[in-house]
Amino acid sequence: MECRDFTPQLDDCLDGRLDAAARRSIQQHLERCPDCRRLHQHAAALQAALRTLPAPTPRQGFVDQALSRATDAAAGAVRTPRRGVLGMALAASLVLGVAVGVFLVTRPAPVPTVALMLERPETVRLMFNSAKPLQAATLSLALPGNVELVGYGDRELSWQTDLREGGNLLQLPLVARGTAKDELVASLSHGGTSKTFRLKFEVDNAGKSGM
Amino acid sequence: MRPQVEYLYRLAWRFTGSVADAEDLVQDVLLKLYPRTRQLVDIEQLRPWLARVLYREYVDLVRQRARSPIADLAADAEGEDNPLDTLPAIKDGPEEHAERSGLRERILCALDRLNPEQRAVVTMHDVEGYSLEELETILDTPLGTLKSRLHRARRRLRALLSVEPFSAGERVNG
Repeated sequence: MECRDFTPQLDDCLDGRLDAAARRSIQQHLERCPDCRRLHQHAAALQAALRTLPAPTPRQGFVDQALSRATDAAAGAVRTPRRGVLGMALAASLVLGVAVGVFLVTRPAPVPTVALMLERPETVRLMFNSAKPLQAATLSLALPGNVELVGYGDRELSWQTDLREGGNLLQLPLVARGTAKDELVASLSHGGTSKTFRLKFEVDNAGKSGM
Repeated sequence: MRPQVEYLYRLAWRFTGSVADAEDLVQDVLLKLYPRTRQLVDIEQLRPWLARVLYREYVDLVRQRARSPIADLAADAEGEDNPLDTLPAIKDGPEEHAERSGLRERILCALDRLNPEQRAVVTMHDVEGYSLEELETILDTPLGTLKSRLHRARRRLRALLSVEPFSAGERVNG
């Protein structure tokens, strides 16, 4: 067996879908090919890790609430509308509007809120709407004391980036380490002007032991 | 019904990676199923059947978002070409740092980078343990398509996690 023959069989090998002869052939190849051996080890380790990947339990009260709504709706007592597309999209997302140079908002917008579960990583999506392409804008983030960017020690970070016209999505893998109510501050600067956005976190510690 | 709701919630969370989306999906499925509760008693293998209903609801959600101007970006973010790649970080950005965190959190972040179909097949097969033959029915997708989808998903996960390859001996706690 050559390396080019091994790769297409990797998935079947991991899933135990090969017959004895094919397994033997692969085993012999892995014994003499360090690259394929490393690939196989990496793939097998990933598969083992996925197999034990935990999932959170529902937050306290959710199951009762969901069953109660379904019962009421089935009985015709309450019509529970599905959230609109935008509402669904915004459930874990936040749209921050910025039009540098033509930003005409004169009164402060209410600070939006995102719900996080204690100790559970959640991707929060920030959408920056730009009226025009911006080269080398500086984006700064200051995280509150109880929220961490997954794998990132500092709570303040700043980097330069290009924004295209329209929506620019930034995904932040966040995890809440405490329940204090505090705000994330995002600041976008370009050409001597800047705009600051605030985002409030509501951290629920229910079901912490579920992970 | 409660254990089934918890099962649905777990799958919904695996599909979406979001508590809010998982709750919405489960609620929508329950609203659809409750008028048909009596029929559920006659279903032999309830969980795969529920998983199929949930997956269809999830596909509807993804399609609805794809039609929304905002959802365009959100949907793209889950494909191979992540819009974040168009926000180049001169210093290391959050994504790079995320890949250096604990294994479980890194895997969750990597799953977020898969497109919805890839994420569904990898979570149902590799995490939940359904066979590809079972997934033909649950995901309503031919076996050959599932195999190629799974192949691409695993390859992408390995690439996303290759910044700091983990050893075969590393284990996930919890």
